[in-house]
Amino acid sequence: MAETELISAEALSKRFAANLVLKQVTLSVTKGEVVCVVGPSGSGKTTLLRCLALLETPSEGRVTMSGETISAATSDATIKRAAKAVRADIGMVFQHFNLWPHMTVLENVIEAPMRVRGADRASAIESAEALLEKVGLSDKRDAYPIRLSGGQQQRVAIARALAMNPKVMLFDEATSALDPELRREVLLVMRQLATEGMTMLVVTHEMGFARNVGTHVVFMDHGEIVEEAEPETFFTQPQTDRARRFLQQFED
Amino acid sequence: MTSYQFRWDTIPQNFDFLMSGMQMTLLISAITLVLAMLGGLVIALLDMSKYRAARAAGLTIGEVIRNTPILVQLLWVYYVLPIFLGININAFTALVVGLSIYSSAFIAEVYRAGIQAVPVGHREAAQVLGLSPSQTFMRIVLPQAVRMTLPPLAANFVQLIKYSSLGAVISVGEITRRGMELSASTFRPLEIFTFIAVVYFFICWPLAMGIRYWEGRLARR
Ligand SMILES: Nc1ncnc2c1ncn2[C@@H]1O[C@H](COP(=O)(O)OP(=O)(O)OP(=O)(O)O)[C@@H](O)[C@H]1O
Ligand SMILES: [Mg+2]
Repeated sequence: MAETELISAEALSKRFAANLVLKQVTLSVTKGEVVCVVGPSGSGKTTLLRCLALLETPSEGRVTMSGETISAATSDATIKRAAKAVRADIGMVFQHFNLWPHMTVLENVIEAPMRVRGADRASAIESAEALLEKVGLSDKRDAYPIRLSGGQQQRVAIARALAMNPKVMLFDEATSALDPELRREVLLVMRQLATEGMTMLVVTHEMGFARNVGTHVVFMDHGEIVEEAEPETFFTQPQTDRARRFLQQFED
Repeated sequence: MTSYQFRWDTIPQNFDFLMSGMQMTLLISAITLVLAMLGGLVIALLDMSKYRAARAAGLTIGEVIRNTPILVQLLWVYYVLPIFLGININAFTALVVGLSIYSSAFIAEVYRAGIQAVPVGHREAAQVLGLSPSQTFMRIVLPQAVRMTLPPLAANFVQLIKYSSLGAVISVGEITRRGMELSASTFRPLEIFTFIAVVYFFICWPLAMGIRYWEGRLARR
């Protein structure tokens, strides 16, 4: 288990001023797993993901990648070096896509491989085209993000993250900003990725996705992990009142 | 007033004299714009510095400039600064320096607004993909900020065309000064200053309309 453990949070706490948002969260994602994080609004899901993506520094605890510490409350040169080395191995997809509006779809996708990995333009374009094909957007290659629907923008954002060949992909409510009819196309891409064996940590309100695609469900509330189980077990036999109350919202 | 005899021929008779003043006006405005773009950058960098002392300096300079009249600043540069520095400053230099300092403070705000208008998520996306802070600034923030900055910079140019008329007070030979000189010798202030106002208007107005259109297009992006 320990050898295949890819990214993990160890006793991670995060405080914003007096507000303790994450309380000693320990979570690890093993290679090939699709861990879905669910929980009510404000429970700290985004903050957890942002800590793992190195966008926030934890107040206590640490983040490790393949066993090496890449983020901790007090950082030293070793941690900084380790973080720099693996930074691009952690892909993240945001709720609001965050495509760069002054670049075309293709330029968005090739930017990081060229600048960070030092890929030459021709090979970066070749890989980018393959990725755009995969997310079904080959014909949008030269379009600017503004011309795309939300679902298309999010698929470009996924392609952009994949272009770095990440070892793990973090998704923060990738479909929440989309109209219901556009969610499916994004969920399908995510599902395909999971099928291909991508290691994923997915914060989502899509219970169907968590149940059908997830290999593991983590339920968070008030900054803590309250339950952790196989999807079937979590959805059919939740162990706590908090989880039961949370799941009731999705029944109709 | 009804018996006033218009002598519009005053204008064509002195057209070249007035137009050379207009050239001077545009030259001053253009030089000033370039200097103020650089000065604005300095103030903006001070404002956004990680050093508290630099930020305090940038802030103070900006506040002083924005909250004192431009005419007083010009007179100060022309009459007081030479005493402090123990040098001679001709009127042209004083005007350019004074206008540049004044404009710098506003352009610094333009830069700052442009940079702050780039959503933080765009920077975070770059950071997660591994772009360094300087790559993120050069490739993601700056191109977007510049695009947003160009219309307000053009608007500043229009301001400068108008403010350069203050040079008349310290006898810089731009168009307003030329008008004053001409009306003193011809006793035709009505025709002359009406004509000068019209010239200013037909230079500034199309620029202002163009900028408004340009900003509208950017807003729709
Ligand atoms: N930068 C910040 N500064 C201060 N407080 C913050 C910051 N980011 C998050 N918080 C607070 O942390 C708590 C958890 O927020 P977080 O966004 O992680 O929750 P979430 O589970 O992702 O919620 P949602 O489902 O609404 O996205 C909230 O109370 C939020 O207000
Ligand atoms: Mg969230």
